[in-house]
Amino acid sequence: MLILQQLISGLMIGGIYVMVAVAFTLTIGMLNFLNFTIPALFMLSGMVAWGLTTVGVHWALALLGGVATATFASLIVERFTYRYMRVRYGDATEHALPLVSSLGFLIIFEHLVLVILGSDPQRFPTPFTSADFHLGKLIIGIPQLVSLVLALAIVWGLSIMLKRTRVGRALRSIAENPDAATLMGVSVNYIVPIVFVITGLMAGIAGMLFTLNYADINAYMGDNVAAKAIAGMVIGGLGNIWGAIAGGLIVGLTEVMAIHFFGADIVKIPIWGLLLLILLVRPSGLFGHTAIGKGKF
Amino acid sequence: MLLEADDLNVRYGRNHAVRHVSLSVDEGEIVTVLGANGAGKSSLLKALQGTAGATADALRFRGQDISSRSAQKRVRSGLVMVPEGRQIFVSLTVHDNLLMGAYCRRDSDVAKDIEGVYERFPNLAQRRTMPASVLSGGEQQMLAISRALLARPVLMMLDEPSLGLSPILVNQLFELIVALNRDGLSILLVEQNTHKALQTASRGYVLELGRVVAEGTPDQLRAGEKLEAAYLGAG
Repeated sequence: MLILQQLISGLMIGGIYVMVAVAFTLTIGMLNFLNFTIPALFMLSGMVAWGLTTVGVHWALALLGGVATATFASLIVERFTYRYMRVRYGDATEHALPLVSSLGFLIIFEHLVLVILGSDPQRFPTPFTSADFHLGKLIIGIPQLVSLVLALAIVWGLSIMLKRTRVGRALRSIAENPDAATLMGVSVNYIVPIVFVITGLMAGIAGMLFTLNYADINAYMGDNVAAKAIAGMVIGGLGNIWGAIAGGLIVGLTEVMAIHFFGADIVKIPIWGLLLLILLVRPSGLFGHTAIGKGKF
Repeated sequence: MLLEADDLNVRYGRNHAVRHVSLSVDEGEIVTVLGANGAGKSSLLKALQGTAGATADALRFRGQDISSRSAQKRVRSGLVMVPEGRQIFVSLTVHDNLLMGAYCRRDSDVAKDIEGVYERFPNLAQRRTMPASVLSGGEQQMLAISRALLARPVLMMLDEPSLGLSPILVNQLFELIVALNRDGLSILLVEQNTHKALQTASRGYVLELGRVVAEGTPDQLRAGEKLEAAYLGAG
């Protein structure tokens, strides 16, 4: 019974990893770019929301403000990493520079938060401290359950959007062949920011759900979650949305099981061990089928 | 004149790929651009489409100056290219490829036009839900042309469409080009297959090292020495 309880917790934290993993995988699949700013977007969402509550903003509005900040920050990153390289050198994806710049933005965003909001861990005044329901002996947190369902629904909606809508087709065509997409009349400078808006929303909403459910937040809260999300993404297969979902949930489950059986100190070893093992056995990940950067959606 | 370029130049750094080219396509014409590899043919088409940076004294399409228009706007106004190597989206389905062709259109006839494509090419209809990677070379070229047609072009520019096709498919391709032209589509055709291109076109230009070294009717070009020299000289 305790194991089942752990499974439930694992799936719930896994839902958050799924959203962050999807944010990573989308930028890799579309733009061939590992966006290191994602942990900062996740953190900005939570910390800005907390900052807003300290000046008297209602918690719900504060959370929305956090997500909006993350999305806006993501657009700033687009402007000065990806688009800058493309305009200046005609190509962004062949260079490692966007990756390095995004790492720079990560550090700047984290330290801006440190300077403005302080380095102490904070507690978000979450209104749902004990909204659990009991299923037999199992305790299921309603906010966590809602978060898991919401996370999966958003990812599902995103995959439908990519598959069936005009913008989704444009995104997939840019992912495969930006030059040919241009010949269809797709404006790369108009479509690429959409990837960054989605990235900001995914990371921001994940940060919001994390803040709401676990309440413990600080300026580095994104790093840990993002590292696990990257592991989940690689386990599932780079650039593949369904791989990111499976990988995120697997990492969540591995984490709680490892804590349950071996204790909290050891938790990173099974996660990264699993990652290395899968890379040895199946380098493209569980669901990846081709090399990085070519048509996955 | 439908398309008119005057003293067009393309430079990539120190490489002057297209030099002082003046070229025109009239409504209803098939015009071909011939020349060896590296003569600047593809760069010329890219400059006309707006995907390569170019300078020109004048660049007019349908009577309007398009020199400062983006590639997207040129597509919208009816100047559409079928790129070299077809460049269909292999990860998208055949149907999605066609929808991408109609990306700029907002009218309600897209579905009808796609059905028209499927009637013309039953092979594409059979594979409409499959990724375009399953198509043969000939089918991919048909898809690339159909995709371009869905943008409702006034002038279609084709970059080496016969490359890599068997002789039978090359014949079918040129029959298709003639048929499309009869339906009112103007065509600017870049080709390595000089024989077929001159059979089909009403006028042609010969490019050598970025310059126009000969122009005229197919008979004039065949009679002159420049055509052969252009291939032997630079090839």
